[in-house]
Amino acid sequence: MRVKMGKFGKEFAKGIIISNPVFILALGLCPALAVSTSIDNALGMTLAVLIVLLGSNIIIAAIRKIVPNIMRIPIFIVIIATLVTVVTLIFHANFPDLYEALGIYLPLVVVNCIILARAEAFASKNPIVYSVADALGITVGFMLALLIISFFRQMLGTGNLSVFGVNLFTLPILGEHPMVMFILPPGAFLVIGLLLALFRRTGVMKSE
Amino acid sequence: MKANTLKKIFPVVLITAVVFASVALLNWTDSITRGKIEYQKEQQIQNMLTEMFPNMSQYTFEDDIYTIYSDGAEVGYAFIALGKGYGGNIDILVGLEDEATIKGIIIISHSETPGLGSRVAESSFTDKFAGLNIADVALSRDGGQIDAITGSTISSRAVIDAVRATAMEKVKLLKGGEE
Amino acid sequence: MNELITIFISMALINNFILVRYLGLCPFFGVSKNVGSAVSMGIAVTFVMSIASLATWLINHYILIPFDMEYMYIIIYILVIASLVQIIELFIKRTNLALYFSFGIYLPLITTNCAVLGITFINMIENYSLLGSIVSALGAGLGFTLVLFIMSNIRERLELADSPKSMRGLPIAFLIAVLLGLAFFGFGGMI
Repeated sequence: MRVKMGKFGKEFAKGIIISNPVFILALGLCPALAVSTSIDNALGMTLAVLIVLLGSNIIIAAIRKIVPNIMRIPIFIVIIATLVTVVTLIFHANFPDLYEALGIYLPLVVVNCIILARAEAFASKNPIVYSVADALGITVGFMLALLIISFFRQMLGTGNLSVFGVNLFTLPILGEHPMVMFILPPGAFLVIGLLLALFRRTGVMKSE
Repeated sequence: MKANTLKKIFPVVLITAVVFASVALLNWTDSITRGKIEYQKEQQIQNMLTEMFPNMSQYTFEDDIYTIYSDGAEVGYAFIALGKGYGGNIDILVGLEDEATIKGIIIISHSETPGLGSRVAESSFTDKFAGLNIADVALSRDGGQIDAITGSTISSRAVIDAVRATAMEKVKLLKGGEE
Repeated sequence: MNELITIFISMALINNFILVRYLGLCPFFGVSKNVGSAVSMGIAVTFVMSIASLATWLINHYILIPFDMEYMYIIIYILVIASLVQIIELFIKRTNLALYFSFGIYLPLITTNCAVLGITFINMIENYSLLGSIVSALGAGLGFTLVLFIMSNIRERLELADSPKSMRGLPIAFLIAVLLGLAFFGFGGMI
């Protein structure tokens, strides 16, 4: 089967902006807001989502032709839940700090609408290669969305910008007296609400 | 006839195979990660005990109380206290120098408000417990020796109450065990 | 008894699922445009949460822990919830067809509601007793319903207002959530 690079690229790019999971499809809001308190956590969650989404898209695309219609959802759930459990155990054993930081949101990836929606809408109907492109694109879109949100929340909420424990820079006034609200839930809602409004105003997204 | 029954049982066979594969994979993953996870828990406790008792050479754990030894001599005790904080449980490691004096405390984990209640984990607060008589572990306004963190009376009080109550309980156990 | 009341108030108000724990956000923003459907969703979710908490507690204590299979919790819990929702859906379809249609797609969507799976995880982590788990689920569900009720009332009235075009719909809902969240911080001093 010849892989059309054009189509691969198209499916990949789709997930980044046009079908951005967080901002456009409004999927996976719960973990997106919960872990965007710092850039490190956002990247950690992205890694988890990447493994699970890639794994589930590949497996489901591989068996898509032999799964009877009625059995679709239960089998998808079992596959996704298995992948999430594996990721949770591996993180617990090898990345304990990340595991602590992500808390219950790591196992909650199993009901992250992004994963099930992509399995249902794409991987079950497309060959493995394009399902991989879709998974990668969606993950990049997810990562970008999370990075933007956590950038603002971390900057305003703690006054520092740090990646992997390395402090990049500290803001002058906010470093001493950060606006704590931004790392709390109300701050999360504020940041994403304003971002959505901004995207609509500047035409990146359509208004209702 | 044969093709028909095959078609009917195929879904069942498939889902059984999938479940089987998943359970097998999980069992295997669990077996390779379990050891590490247990080891980390032990390491974490050990690190905290060493932080609290710098000259510790070994420790034993019995009836929920750690007994700390330095070259064979008993130098103190430690145990975990649970505080009822604003955001949930606050896990506290409490060290005792002897049966009446606190060696120090370390906040193991909490879900308090960042910037406010979370400051109970900072040394500026936890240092205040070092060397105190168990009876003096209370807020200044309640007749004790510790000032609450501004804006986080609930979190401060949760830690204080848990430390005092659990310490008194453990001391009773220790004294009872000696008789 | 005291402890049960603390658990209930903690789950319902102080650590409200939507405004503090970031759980159940999808239905929060999806169903909250209409008071009736919002409250129905809330009650349905509370119901599923409670039964799921009961079922998962039993499975956890009588199967997972004795057989040293705690790592299976993610798979088992989600399958329990999925089956529960299926059964409830069938039951509603047989007994009250109108209700079934009014729920539409939102009933099966309760399966992927992070709040339902979330409460089972929280019960496990906090190690509540059987009664404690059910009380915690009731508290969580009712708190969820309360916030949904408030939000939908506000949004219904906002539909009539003249909001800026780019703010309509989701952005304004988020801003309302900011205010609600800040307000709920006041519950902190209750216990």
